[in-house]
Amino acid sequence: MAKKGLQTTDKDIINLSKIVGEKSILYKQPDLLAYDCDGFTIHKHLPKAVVFPNTTEEVAEIVKYCDANHLPFLARGAGTGLSGGAIPLNGEVIISLVKMKRLLSVDLENRRAVVEPGFVNLKLTNSISNKGYYYAPDPSSQYACTIGGNVAENAGGAHCLKYGVTTNHILGLEVVMPNGEIIEISTNGVPDAPGYDLLGLLTGSEGTLGIVTKITVRILKNPEAKQTVLAYFDNVADGSQVVSDIVSSGIVPAALEMMDKTAIEGVEAAAFPVGHPKDIEALLLIEVDGISAGIEEQINQILEVCNKRNVREVKVAQSEEERGRWWANRKTGFGAMGAISPDYLVQDGVIPRSKLPEVLAKINKISDDSGLRIANIFHAGDGNLHPLVLFDAGKPGEIEKALEAGSACLQVCADVGGTITGEHGVGIEKREEMRFVFTDREIMAQTDIREVFNPKNLLNAGKLFPTPGRCAEVKKELKEAKTS
Amino acid sequence: MDVKNDPSCQIKGLGNYLWSDPPDAGKWADCVHCGLCLEACPTYEQTGQEQHSPRGRVHLIKSVAEGKLVVDENFADPVFVCLDCRACTTACPADVDVGGLIEEARGQVRQAMPLTGWKGAVSKTFLEGIFPHQNRLNSLGSLLKFYQKSGMQKVVRKTGLINIMPKHLVEMESIMPEIGTPVQKKYKDQEVIKAKGETKHEVSMLTGCIMDVMFSDINESTINVLTRNGNNVTIPKNQTCCGALHVHAGDRETGRELAKRNIEAFKDAEKVITNAAGCGCMLKEYPELFREDPEWHEKAEEFSKKVEDVSKYLYDTGYEKPKAELNKRITYHDACHLAHGQGIREEPRDLLINIPGVEMVHMPNSDRCCGSAGIYNITNPEMAGAVLESKMENVPDDVEMISMGNPGCMLQMAIGVEKYGRNQKIVHTVQLLDWAYQKEDGKERGK
Repeated sequence: MAKKGLQTTDKDIINLSKIVGEKSILYKQPDLLAYDCDGFTIHKHLPKAVVFPNTTEEVAEIVKYCDANHLPFLARGAGTGLSGGAIPLNGEVIISLVKMKRLLSVDLENRRAVVEPGFVNLKLTNSISNKGYYYAPDPSSQYACTIGGNVAENAGGAHCLKYGVTTNHILGLEVVMPNGEIIEISTNGVPDAPGYDLLGLLTGSEGTLGIVTKITVRILKNPEAKQTVLAYFDNVADGSQVVSDIVSSGIVPAALEMMDKTAIEGVEAAAFPVGHPKDIEALLLIEVDGISAGIEEQINQILEVCNKRNVREVKVAQSEEERGRWWANRKTGFGAMGAISPDYLVQDGVIPRSKLPEVLAKINKISDDSGLRIANIFHAGDGNLHPLVLFDAGKPGEIEKALEAGSACLQVCADVGGTITGEHGVGIEKREEMRFVFTDREIMAQTDIREVFNPKNLLNAGKLFPTPGRCAEVKKELKEAKTS
Repeated sequence: MDVKNDPSCQIKGLGNYLWSDPPDAGKWADCVHCGLCLEACPTYEQTGQEQHSPRGRVHLIKSVAEGKLVVDENFADPVFVCLDCRACTTACPADVDVGGLIEEARGQVRQAMPLTGWKGAVSKTFLEGIFPHQNRLNSLGSLLKFYQKSGMQKVVRKTGLINIMPKHLVEMESIMPEIGTPVQKKYKDQEVIKAKGETKHEVSMLTGCIMDVMFSDINESTINVLTRNGNNVTIPKNQTCCGALHVHAGDRETGRELAKRNIEAFKDAEKVITNAAGCGCMLKEYPELFREDPEWHEKAEEFSKKVEDVSKYLYDTGYEKPKAELNKRITYHDACHLAHGQGIREEPRDLLINIPGVEMVHMPNSDRCCGSAGIYNITNPEMAGAVLESKMENVPDDVEMISMGNPGCMLQMAIGVEKYGRNQKIVHTVQLLDWAYQKEDGKERGK
């Protein structure tokens, strides 16, 4: 695998390799092909090169080089994103941050840890769990996804209902700006710094404002107790109603997840089945945690609510092992769709909880109209839907149909007063759908903000906002191209 | 030019795969590119590069079929850097058979670009010249035995002759187990090795090529343990190397020939018992080799169903729990082809826990590859060394033995113990059981 010397005359490759070393740059076609998409596979594009810096300084130097030579560039972690945020649409130089994967410090007293962006989400919890602590945001891809990527996408997860999404757990950032300058935002980890909330702005900016190279995160003490309930329903409306009932009863579950019949078919056909009945219409996975006193009472209340709404069967996990199996089944749900469909496209709409039955019925209708199956696995507690449109990219016209169906699902969410993404980001996938929730002026206000940070738009261009943008933006880009 | 390498006479290709038996589209159709396999992959862990990750490899393998890539050196690199450890199969939510795809892709690469140079020489000598031939293997064993007994080993080590050998071969030489008598030789005149006491089952045993030469004592232990538990053990004479090393290296043709010989050799067997994870996994996957040959595919299916690893076989059929105490602190290493390849994890641990006096110590990431991976540690020494280093970091300090169920792992882990100045003894699970029985019977053995 170690190749002797670079086999290219491309001056950019040669110069970039001087920054990171010859072994830390990829530029040959087969290698690049492995980077032509992320977890969103509908758009594919080859990068110019992939570089693997080891330090913030190397990142800054790469960025300076790209900036000076008008090379588009973007940052990538594990490439598990579901909206295409790490796809090199413009033949970018990909700055892969996976080698920057150190856990720099853990400060239990102040409940914070400092990690590099390539550090894998679940590894943080694994590194501190023996001391009784954990990192709360738990996207389903947490086995593989990086915390840097989580910051870019403001990732959520099953337990965000009670604990909040990534942005609620970020205390400080070190960022390489699109011109190569290194800045620090509250790296001392003291929350609520005066002035504008730059942490909030950077978190969820989908890699369009800067490249995060160091992250101070909040860590939490493990809850004293935890109980998990699994409930099966013969009817989606009953399941949906239970979701609303639980929350309105005053309980804040740590997680409140739902799967419909098609989704259950998928997870049961895949690698982590738990033996859910095949003929139920919906299941709920409900977890409560906190101090031991009171947990029992909450569980009883939940069981009561389920029984009142015609639950077919409801059970409490009897062991950590059983609880683990239920969660593995849920968390691998997206990948499990591979067992029943060659391709899938996952949507990420958010709706008011009370609209669940209505929206699920409409999504069913979209499925019928398009002729494509749609599975639903989602965070019911916070109204964050994940319709999974199942299709076969090998069949002519199916990609387009799937995209249309996905978009229609988001339109439904927007129409009932919801929005188009809860945790996966806009990326490439939902650029056009931004118009469902923002006017041109509102979009312009946001691209104006981007311009302050990323004036040349070399960093991850073409993501997050509809393209081509307004005439003004196009004209400006033309003008810039001329002057360069 | 060798006719075998000319694709023009073949018609069963797929996209830029020009030879028959190409990677199976049905296998990659299950992959939705979610990336949950990344962290499971030892070569991704080492390189951080996605062409060296399961998802990346599947993507590239599919790309050749789609005509976006050709089978050349740049494609061969990611496909051959794979350890074929199958950890990705365990991690994958959709059960994508990455290992199968890798082996099929290697078959295409080897036909497009036959090996030359050092790797070609190793491959030709061992894969074609030695492993398939039991008598040559035995001669090699005798030669090694002579090397050890004659004092030549001492001469080589002392004179510095050893310094002119490549580094990884020096490492291998230093841990070479003491060569005993292969059971194939020892029991060659015995039709059936009779069960001790009442006969409950009839089993046939695959002796394995490396196992029987390098670790004949483990085969001996396996026979002891089986006969003690009411099994009549037959060692079919015409059996041969299982072909795993050939298939891993992309030589599927030889793999098929060996498979046919074994299927024939074991056609009367009720149960085929193996004590080598790599062999067991291969035997269970024989049908994969005959996707284009319905007649042999059926035979292979029938054969595969009879194959079982000795640990699972004992666990399933019930065995006598030893009574003597072996007061040892032991950790267990999951051989990839046992844990990921055959889903056997608890059974060997159960055998160990049930030996009185054994204290099991948990090894973190016990199912992470050790880097042996067939002859990978010979062909890719640098990566194998890096993978071994991570493995050794996980071996608990305070254990006396590391138990496992695969000869390749045993050699590799022994290199690890030697290289990192550790002092654990490397043992096979059935050896421990055998020693416990022997102690019970008043025969002290093992250390």
